[in-house]
Amino acid sequence: MIPYVTLSIDGALIKAAKGTSVLDVAIEYGICIPHLCHVPNLSDLGACRLCIVEHVVNGRSKVTTSCTLRVREGMVIRSNTERIRHLRRNIAELLVAQAPNSRAIQDIAVRCGVKKVRYPFRNENCVLCGRCVRVCSEMWQAKAIGFVGRGKDRKVDTPFSQPSEACKRCGTCIDLCPMTITPCDGPMKPGEEYLCGKCESQMMEANSSPDQCIWCDLGEGFQCGRY
Amino acid sequence: MPGRELDSILEGRRSQPHQLIEVLQDVQENFGYLPEDAIRAVSRALGVPLTEVYGVASFYKAFSLKPRGKNVITICTGTACHVRGARLLLNQATGQLGVAPGEMTEDGMFTIEHVNCLGACALGPVVTENGSCHHHMAPGKLRKLITSLNGKGEATHA
Ligand code: SF4
Ligand code: SF4
Ligand code: FES
Ligand code: FES
Repeated sequence: MIPYVTLSIDGALIKAAKGTSVLDVAIEYGICIPHLCHVPNLSDLGACRLCIVEHVVNGRSKVTTSCTLRVREGMVIRSNTERIRHLRRNIAELLVAQAPNSRAIQDIAVRCGVKKVRYPFRNENCVLCGRCVRVCSEMWQAKAIGFVGRGKDRKVDTPFSQPSEACKRCGTCIDLCPMTITPCDGPMKPGEEYLCGKCESQMMEANSSPDQCIWCDLGEGFQCGRY
Repeated sequence: MPGRELDSILEGRRSQPHQLIEVLQDVQENFGYLPEDAIRAVSRALGVPLTEVYGVASFYKAFSLKPRGKNVITICTGTACHVRGARLLLNQATGQLGVAPGEMTEDGMFTIEHVNCLGACALGPVVTENGSCHHHMAPGKLRKLITSLNGKGEATHA
């Protein structure tokens, strides 16, 4: 028998199997916690920081990523407080500044309420979410690609930047990469990046019923846990 | 590839993935850098996927993936050394030798590298030359150091 624990997320009492993450449980119960690097059935890395929640312990709350937080008995989680929304908006703003040329990232910015971008656009083609690296190693046991270098020089690459013999040509890394779908109006030229925001109408319903998954289309570009 | 040296490094450590860093350190010490063939051989011998070996090798500043010059000059650009003018030292060295940091001079004599803190902040700015440490460095002192190393190299070559 699987041992269960009871925890509260945004006031709802939820029974969850021990060992699952708070994010998985929330998505399963239709509570929308925005996330990007999480992929169902792969290990969690906590790379994108979008899935932050408040974890209340003894009346004090700690902000932490819900994908790397395991459920525990009596846990109290808040996913949609003023503080979280503010922090999340900032994280989404940084992400969209880093990689405006992705529909998934633009969608996340809309979902997190980004209205303007205060940082210079970098127009990178990777946000180091590690989805490709993890699927390659965990699902295909191929380990053809990995993180190379560190700090600001960190990137995803094959050993010696040469075509890898370990690659099985499955293409899953590309399927899962949030950078492979351009914004609806096509790729943006360097120097002409902008915050798209055209899907904002998607948010009307979401705003009227906060912290509920309304099956918006904003998760499609990166296979949000529901798709 | 000098296979014998590599063999002796790998001796007794085959199929032991946890030995990865030690083995790479020994390879680095032996060859002055991590040659591609050696990295591939280490991956096979220890049973660690190549991607992981490459990831580790590219992560640490102590490892170099490119051949390094006879003299390795490491300039600390950590916070303490930075405020005491490490940038000037880096400019001096790169200007004098005409190479970018991390590159080797054409004659194979020098490589300039920079690191973030050598742990001797009170003595900054710090420069190490082939492992020996020079404290309170100034561009003039560094120029003399490089010139003298260059002279020594030529003398032994002749
Ligand atoms: S296509 Fe190659 S690199 Fe991409 S996930 Fe498959 S095996 Fe890994
Ligand atoms: S290549 Fe794509 S999937 Fe891989 S880390 Fe970068 S953004 Fe993520
Ligand atoms: S989904 Fe949790 S940090 Fe990215
Ligand atoms: S900053 Fe240079 S030794 Fe610490």
